[in-house]
Amino acid sequence: MTAKIPSRRAILDRIRIATQPTADNPVLLAGAYAILPRTYIRTGHLSAEARIALMIERLREFDAEVVETSPESLPAAIAAQLVASGKHTFVAPPGLPPEWLAPGLDWKIDKGLPTSEIERAEGVVTAAFCAVADSGTIILHHSIAEGRRVLTLLPDWHLCILRSSQIVETLPEYFDRCPQPPALVTTISGPSATADIEMTRIKGVHGPRFLHVILVRDQGGQPIVH
Amino acid sequence: MTPRPELDPALAPPFPVAALNILRNPQLRKNVAHATDIIQAKRARLVAEKKDWQQLRSAASEIRAHVLENLGAYLEKFENRCIAAGGIVHWAADAAEARQIILDILREEKADEVIKIKTMTSAEIQLNPFLEAAGARTYETDLAEIILQLGNDEPSHIVVPALHVNRSQVRDIFARTMGLPNLSDDPHALADAARNYLRRKFLDIPTAISGANFLIAETGAVAIVESEGNGRMCLTLPRTLITLAGIEKVVPRFRDLEVMLQVLARSATGERMNPYNSLWTGVTAGDGPQRFHVILLDNGRSSILTRPVERQTLKCIRCAACMNACPVYRQTGGHAYGSVYPGPIGAILTPQLTQMHHAQSLPYASSLCGACYEVCPVKINIPEVLIDLRAQVTDQERRRLNRFLDPIYLGMKIANFLFSRAWLFHAAQSFGRIGLAIFTGKDGWIHALPGLGAKWTQTRDLRGLPSQTFHSWWDDRAREAK
Repeated sequence: MTAKIPSRRAILDRIRIATQPTADNPVLLAGAYAILPRTYIRTGHLSAEARIALMIERLREFDAEVVETSPESLPAAIAAQLVASGKHTFVAPPGLPPEWLAPGLDWKIDKGLPTSEIERAEGVVTAAFCAVADSGTIILHHSIAEGRRVLTLLPDWHLCILRSSQIVETLPEYFDRCPQPPALVTTISGPSATADIEMTRIKGVHGPRFLHVILVRDQGGQPIVH
Repeated sequence: MTPRPELDPALAPPFPVAALNILRNPQLRKNVAHATDIIQAKRARLVAEKKDWQQLRSAASEIRAHVLENLGAYLEKFENRCIAAGGIVHWAADAAEARQIILDILREEKADEVIKIKTMTSAEIQLNPFLEAAGARTYETDLAEIILQLGNDEPSHIVVPALHVNRSQVRDIFARTMGLPNLSDDPHALADAARNYLRRKFLDIPTAISGANFLIAETGAVAIVESEGNGRMCLTLPRTLITLAGIEKVVPRFRDLEVMLQVLARSATGERMNPYNSLWTGVTAGDGPQRFHVILLDNGRSSILTRPVERQTLKCIRCAACMNACPVYRQTGGHAYGSVYPGPIGAILTPQLTQMHHAQSLPYASSLCGACYEVCPVKINIPEVLIDLRAQVTDQERRRLNRFLDPIYLGMKIANFLFSRAWLFHAAQSFGRIGLAIFTGKDGWIHALPGLGAKWTQTRDLRGLPSQTFHSWWDDRAREAK
């Protein structure tokens, strides 16, 4: 059994012998990277309304429930969703605005909750970082309003608050919104699913089985759906 | 119960031998055809709607090729950033070293159980049997992998590893191993059974092993692409995470995922985006595993880099579109390839990973139709590599002493002698016509030949020799014209 350092050296030496020496010159390497062809579609062409409509359509294809609301009526919309869910115990990330925590329900705020406590919660409410309409993808960077990764994983029911200004059309446009690469990312495109048995799509294997989205119109415009 | 398929290239029988058994198993062929038909149709639909598909393919191909040309620099950058973010980076020259590193970490953690995300790389190094023998229990958490683990079976596909098993077979496996005699064969009930079986394990077992879809050199981050959420469980709940990644998995920048994720989801499962992608960077205080190890595995990969034509093999992002499209794979399924990497990509990857010591029959397990190349999201010209590998296999055979006894070698030598002498060639034709006449049916076809000829007629008919050769027809024609 060889020690770790010799293997590292041996592997890198084999690679160096097999590949180009430009790899060792950072300027040449950056230059070679910069000229890689990127002729694919980077920015979308849809109007703001069409982009939002597409996001809603995609979410519904995933069987996610979507409601639209204005910034003023957001707390009421959240409360209505929570009550309609029939659930009582909810977890929330510490950075969630206090007015989102509908009264009369059992809230656990995650300031380092033990896993068992999160596991016992029936639902979770979070914000999001961004959403991609093209694929109906919600993206979390796990800020204090989006919560630790475990928070949106163990509860079976996830209510995600999405602002219309957070919706982009294409995946590259999401990357445009990341001047600094994030340390943690989770992308969610519909609820947990598998097709491992005879390619039959089954919803909800391990992650949350129910995804609800409240879309907040923070850029004006009339709600598309009610 | 069929015997467990052999997927160790050093021990597996040659492809035609392994394939023959499977071709006689109509249930398995039906299961494979059903699954590949569905994925292919979904993929085709979503690729057709993507207006910039070819541009995405070109970008993905060029990014991967660029990485391979500069692999050393990107690996060192990844290592550097990953360590800065709190990760521990190990390098493993081969499968044995990688297994030992993992076992040492488990011992250090005093872990006698480990949960696993589906990783073909761990199957490549035959990790599970090694850990089990060393006293560490492994729990696969991907639904398909559970089916295989509990059913004492092996993967036959790199994205949907249990596609050769149908629902009633899954029911039988789960009913027997989970103690659920009344389980129905409804896929929902089966998925629920898996969910219940695993829930406590996710919460209780503090050590996890994953593979990696992408390593980001820029930040030292690792990305995992999945559907079920078992990956998120393994990446989030344990105290310690061990990621095993082939050295070719690196991409230069976070931003490159805008290309890779788009082509991977559409190619692998025919989705605009798969349900979950996770990306993490070393250790994040208060969120997820607080000890994180990455093992960078060579195991034959650096030797593939040395050959310019074969190097493209390492561009692969493991989407499995090539096997879904392959007319050979669609008949035989994955087990015939005698490797955890089946299908066209397996046919070029497996022999090279063994540095051409094993799996020499695989480059021939193809009709060279090119369907794999057409669907490949990173434009690996698989037929080109297959032909090059065939040449390598032939060169190997040429170096062997007992080649003089090989019927193909002898046949070629005799043909060479005959074909270079016109009178002998014509005589041989006449003899051949007389000799073959007794095997030729009334319909002008030969349906069965004895001896070596049977290798041909076993699986297809041979057209009988015509009553007149082209040469004699030409001579007759000239004579008549006079």
